[in-house]
Amino acid sequence: MGKRPQLGDLEELALLAVLRLGGSAYGGRIREVLRDDAGRPVSISTIYVTLMRLEEKGMVRSWMGEPTGERGGKARRYFEVRPEGVEAVEAVRDVRDRMWEGVRAAEGGGHGS
Amino acid sequence: MARDHWASPPRWATLLMEARLPSELAEAMAGDLEEEYRNRVLPARGKARADLWYWGQALGLRAGALRRISGRLGAMRPTFERNRPRRVGSRQTDFWSRMPMRLDDLKYAARRLIKSPGFTLVAVLSLALGIGANTAMFSIVNAVLLRRLPLAHPEQLVEVYTSEDNGYPASTSSYPDFADLRDHNDIFSGVVGERTEIARVDRDGEPSVVFGELVSWDFFRVLGVPMALGRSFLPEEGATPMTHPVVVLGYRMWVKEYGQDPGIVGKTVRLSGRAFTVVGVAPKAFTGTFPVLVTSFYAPMMMSAAFMDSEGQELEQRNSRSMFLKARLKPGVTVAQANAALKAFSAGLAERYPDSNKKRIMSAVSTEDVSIHPLVDKAALPVAGLLLTVVGLVLLIACVNLASFLLARAEDRRREIAVRLALGAGRGALVRQLLVETVVLSLLGGLAGIGLARWTLDLLMGFKPPIPVPIELDVSVDGHVLLFTLGVSLLAGLLFGLVPALQATNPDVAPTLKDEAGRAGKPGRFNLRSTLVVTQVAFSFVLLIGAGLFVRSLQKAQTIDPGFYTGPAAMVMPMMELSDYKTDDQIREYYRTLKERLLADPDIDQVAIADRLPLGMSIRLSSFILPEVPSDRPDGDWEIDAVNVTPGYFETMEVPVVEGHAFTEADVYGEAKIMVSQAFVQRFYPGQDVVGRTIQDGDGRPLRIVGVARDTKVRTLGEAPRPYVYRLQGRTSIAGMMEFIVRGRASAPKLLADARRVVNEVDPDVPLFDAKTMNEHLSLMLFAPRMAALLLSVFGALALALAGVGIYGVVSYAVSRRTRELGIRMSLGASASDVVTMAVKGGMRLVVIGGLIGVVLAGGVTWSISRWLYGIGSTDVATFVAIPLLLSGVALLAAFVPARRASKVDPVRALRSE
Repeated sequence: MGKRPQLGDLEELALLAVLRLGGSAYGGRIREVLRDDAGRPVSISTIYVTLMRLEEKGMVRSWMGEPTGERGGKARRYFEVRPEGVEAVEAVRDVRDRMWEGVRAAEGGGHGS
Repeated sequence: MARDHWASPPRWATLLMEARLPSELAEAMAGDLEEEYRNRVLPARGKARADLWYWGQALGLRAGALRRISGRLGAMRPTFERNRPRRVGSRQTDFWSRMPMRLDDLKYAARRLIKSPGFTLVAVLSLALGIGANTAMFSIVNAVLLRRLPLAHPEQLVEVYTSEDNGYPASTSSYPDFADLRDHNDIFSGVVGERTEIARVDRDGEPSVVFGELVSWDFFRVLGVPMALGRSFLPEEGATPMTHPVVVLGYRMWVKEYGQDPGIVGKTVRLSGRAFTVVGVAPKAFTGTFPVLVTSFYAPMMMSAAFMDSEGQELEQRNSRSMFLKARLKPGVTVAQANAALKAFSAGLAERYPDSNKKRIMSAVSTEDVSIHPLVDKAALPVAGLLLTVVGLVLLIACVNLASFLLARAEDRRREIAVRLALGAGRGALVRQLLVETVVLSLLGGLAGIGLARWTLDLLMGFKPPIPVPIELDVSVDGHVLLFTLGVSLLAGLLFGLVPALQATNPDVAPTLKDEAGRAGKPGRFNLRSTLVVTQVAFSFVLLIGAGLFVRSLQKAQTIDPGFYTGPAAMVMPMMELSDYKTDDQIREYYRTLKERLLADPDIDQVAIADRLPLGMSIRLSSFILPEVPSDRPDGDWEIDAVNVTPGYFETMEVPVVEGHAFTEADVYGEAKIMVSQAFVQRFYPGQDVVGRTIQDGDGRPLRIVGVARDTKVRTLGEAPRPYVYRLQGRTSIAGMMEFIVRGRASAPKLLADARRVVNEVDPDVPLFDAKTMNEHLSLMLFAPRMAALLLSVFGALALALAGVGIYGVVSYAVSRRTRELGIRMSLGASASDVVTMAVKGGMRLVVIGGLIGVVLAGGVTWSISRWLYGIGSTDVATFVAIPLLLSGVALLAAFVPARRASKVDPVRALRSE
């Protein structure tokens, strides 16, 4: 597990967005979540490159859905986080938590909430 | 519809995006952007700015990065395939390779084609006919003009020709010139020479004549041709005349005559009475220097005296030019440099040997640019062009049929496509899908076409021209042919599928189409399908006119009176060069004996002897000086067709003598005598009495005219009467080979068998160069017109059938669209025949328009075939009357069948229909 691939921060955010959206995660929605909730406006190309890199690392998987009228009869590509992906974001979170604990200790717990 | 258009992003931007993106992402990403466009950008910014935003997105795509990553992913994708979540009814568009079409398009196309087997069958069949005809013709053109021998590094090889003193550049070279060039040049790494030869093969007592090549010793080495068996020639075998009787057998000869005997090397074969030791067998793919002709043996040039009674002079004489030369350029030497060097070399020769080499210039042409020989290539190209044009037209008609079918199908799918377009499906994707279907169809057609071509070629190869030399055309399907067929199929599918696909998916025509349902067939209404039918009719018309002209020409040719006896007769030609009879006296004695023995045969009544027959393959001109009528040639002589005959020729050949008398045995003695044709008199001595007049041969010897014979055809059946000179054979030198024409009470085949037997009885060692019946001889002249008429008729009939199918389709479609209207008419009292007439009229209107265009087209192009026609002009009235009648008849039938169906419509049911 120590040799787990590095997770970039956009990758981390994308994984989180897919997890948040549950079964209805697709490019457009993921991009919306990143823009509106994470304050990270990214281009559609960047989103797909990121998601496919995650797929390459085995952290997400994708499949084509049904065509829908509201998008000109085109199907969506849905994404879903694989257990490896969940592990990866949790590992990042663990690292951050540990770091934050160190920060709180130095400040004497001043900013903790 | 309008609102929908307003809500759609710019279509071109979508097409651009779909083109740039990896196919497995295109749909998802374009969909995401469209969704955002509709839901967020359009309401917030308005149409213009939203479009601008969309364009920005489309242009700003990081297509390269996306391609790279999806390519990497594609490589590992299959491992994920299994654990991918599957949803009921989910479309599996994951096709992770970068093929230009998607697998699901292919599956979809296959499903649709299987669903309508009737359509598929007719479409594939008509394409197969078109593509098959093209493949067959191309195979022939390929075999004759395009196929190259398997030589090593052919790009380094050049053909070297010597010019004639009249300036014609691509003629043959002499052996001494060849030897000088080989030994004194610094541009070629090797120069080889070859001369064709015929030889008698003695096997089991039955002599036969085969075609061979005499070659320089390093012929196979320089050309890079490895032996199938044994070795090629050694330097010493090309060094001294008549010292090394060795031979390399052609592969086919080895197979046919020696049953692929693996121990053939070292054995002896008898060629023209001399024993040769077999040293090797040429490879199967190397069939000899000339396509069409099959070389049976290769012998060293040094053995040339063994074949012809020339005592090897040709190896020393510079003005005996019979060799074709090939040379391999040294690395870095260009053809232009070679030509410059050859020019200098020829100038040197001309200086040293002015008698033989003045004005003779050697030149090089890249071997890859020559098919047979520059002169032959030039004559063959128009024929090849005509054949390919004809089959091209057939294919065009087949393709037009396909396009017409596709349009009809698109009509049926109108709803489906409209719905998909309304949902905003990309037009690009729809067009692609329709095109995939067409391409699948055309590839199936191509596959069936190859089968059809094979069959046709087998049939065609059965029609061998009746000439004595063995010929063989290798028309097997090779890479060229496959590539051609694949190309033609793809082109047909794409080109003729594109228009219907675009038309079917054009959102703007949807209302038009709907409208048309009510108005179809009204006068003045002209849709794409009608245009296609008009095109078909016009092209079929041109083809049929061509076919008609060739058929009429053949008819004419068959009725042309050649001016000599054409009833049952046989002719044999003993090959004296390949016999042991060498002196004139010996040969004359042999001929005399042969004639006597032939006449002694109970079946044979008459024997005529001539050194050639009119309407044979060869043309022989002799030089004559007419003292009163000088020509403008430098020597003032005339080149006139001439023949050597013996007394009795005119009686046997039934050529009437109109003035003077026919040659008699008494004419053989005394001064030399000739007879001339009527055209000769007309041309040179119009209105004068020529009998008793004396002219001279090319050397100035006097020739007295003793009679005038009625004109006969000399070179071709179609020619105008031609001046012709008959020389009396026998007193002066004996020409090499003589035809013995025998007539009698028996049938021609019986006469031929008798003549063969007698020749064999007189001397079994004399081979026959040629033995045939009169009919076979004449069929040689008719071979080309017969083939042309046959081929064009077949293709014309094909075109007619295809056009008929097209007309049938259009009329039956129009009828089906108008069922309701016809029902109303009939319920209002229109009779069945009114309805039929109306429907037929609709179809015939197209035929008339197409026919008129066809007449104009045909009138414009048939002049190009006039040179191949006998006895009729290219605007032959009978043809131009008969063909329209034929076409109209077929068209009427094609229109009538579906029209009749319309009259059987039950008005009540019709009114209920759509």
